[in-house]
Amino acid sequence: MRALAFKARVLFATRFAEMAEYRAEVVIWMLSGTLSLVMMLVWMAQAAAAPGGQIRGYSAPEFATYFLSTWLVSQLLVVWVSHELDFQIRQGTLSPQLLRPVDPMWLHVASHVAERLVRIVPLLVMVGLFTWLSGASFTREWWAYPAALGLAALGFSVRFLYEYAIGLLAFWTESSASFQEVVWLVYAALGGMFAPLAFYPEWVQRVAVWTPFPYMLGLPAQLLAGKATLAQAGRGALVLLVWLAVFWVVRLIVWRVGLRKYGAVGA
Amino acid sequence: MRRYLRLVRIFVGATLSAQLEYRANFLGAVLASLGEVGVALLGISILFGQPGVTQVGGWSFREALLVTGFFMLTEGVISVFIQPNMSKIAEAVRTGNMDFTLLKPIDAQFNVSTRNLNVLRFPDLLIGLGLIGYAASGLEVTPGGALAAAVLYGSAVVIVYCIYLGLSTTAFWFVKTQNVTELFSGVFGAARFPVAAFPVPVRFVLTFVLPVAFITTVPAQALTGALGGGLALASPLIAAALFLGTRWFWRYAVASYTSASS
Repeated sequence: MRALAFKARVLFATRFAEMAEYRAEVVIWMLSGTLSLVMMLVWMAQAAAAPGGQIRGYSAPEFATYFLSTWLVSQLLVVWVSHELDFQIRQGTLSPQLLRPVDPMWLHVASHVAERLVRIVPLLVMVGLFTWLSGASFTREWWAYPAALGLAALGFSVRFLYEYAIGLLAFWTESSASFQEVVWLVYAALGGMFAPLAFYPEWVQRVAVWTPFPYMLGLPAQLLAGKATLAQAGRGALVLLVWLAVFWVVRLIVWRVGLRKYGAVGA
Repeated sequence: MRRYLRLVRIFVGATLSAQLEYRANFLGAVLASLGEVGVALLGISILFGQPGVTQVGGWSFREALLVTGFFMLTEGVISVFIQPNMSKIAEAVRTGNMDFTLLKPIDAQFNVSTRNLNVLRFPDLLIGLGLIGYAASGLEVTPGGALAAAVLYGSAVVIVYCIYLGLSTTAFWFVKTQNVTELFSGVFGAARFPVAAFPVPVRFVLTFVLPVAFITTVPAQALTGALGGGLALASPLIAAALFLGTRWFWRYAVASYTSASS
């Protein structure tokens, strides 16, 4: 147990030092994910031009709140592990990591968590700035914040595991990056980055509720905007837990099978 | 000139034969292209699918689809022609391989800009052109409009190339410029919608500060005949100015290049 705590501390401390070194890049990465912000501006202009100043009950400031919230949550869900695995497996730099007495996955977990800590300060500054510019107003119910954070943490874990599994596809194919891109698009679409899920065509909504995406992105955003209840958050958390279990097993199987295929100098 | 055309042919041949080694990737790339167009269409159809919405910023669905088409086409141009070359500049500066490029008896900017192609993303170009064709088939397009659109899109490509080259050239001083081009992709995301769909202050920024409007909105307007003379004239002028500016910047950067060991 003490050995485990020691490993965790060392892993985390080294990753944090590394990420603090990359702080300028972290800010640039943050600014490159602009889809939510673009959609925010478009919907705000749409609402302002609509008769009554509303579309489906959303006024311009409400759109601003929703999309800023999705932007904030999506920043917490950022995962780049599949790129890294793709590189490590093709170049063979995975090999030295296999010699360590811990599953390499935890190295990546530590990186991501450490990066989140570096990200949080500029992130909050930017959210504050955008809130002021766009007239967004977040909910005043205190419980919404821990609930949204909890869902985001679960969502991050789910996303991390499936992205990890996609990255491991590099054991077999050179196109794992393309798969990653497609999955990102599905995540963005069904997560509600283009509009709140209720705006989507009926059949898309029916498909979406079976996927984890609306619960990791759209739901926490709606919580922050004050448009979702605690009961909905609880149900979302249950769905995410089920997906978490599924992807945990999937990742483990892909890892075990893939490792047997790995030629150590690059797949 | 003839010599440069011959070089382009050699470059294309070399990069093609290198990439055909990885034929299996083509399937994945096609999948990514289809996913991208699917999401672009989903975005725009949600926007127009709301009750009571028939136009966005004065643009009908077909007209906005035209902008989406130009967006996809530009994504294709970037990932086939521009990105594969520009991403190698920073790498070459870092490792010192830029030495070899500069020693060759041809223009170095020409060499770094044309050496590579990513044929895998070629379907993006077809999808973009297909979308433009489909959208235009339901609109009234005059031959003059089509010609103007083609010319203005040409200057749009020059603008995109210059921005990329300018950003990548900073690699001669800052090694990690991969990220700066990421920043451009972030801004370029706004080009999937006509600028009129944005609030007025943002529209101003997208036209006069960051020339995003000239990349997709202006060619689309030219095609439908809704373009004012001012913007039509501004686009080639901006392209020319950017080209000369980045040309100068590139030479300045190369002049201060001291290879990798220093």
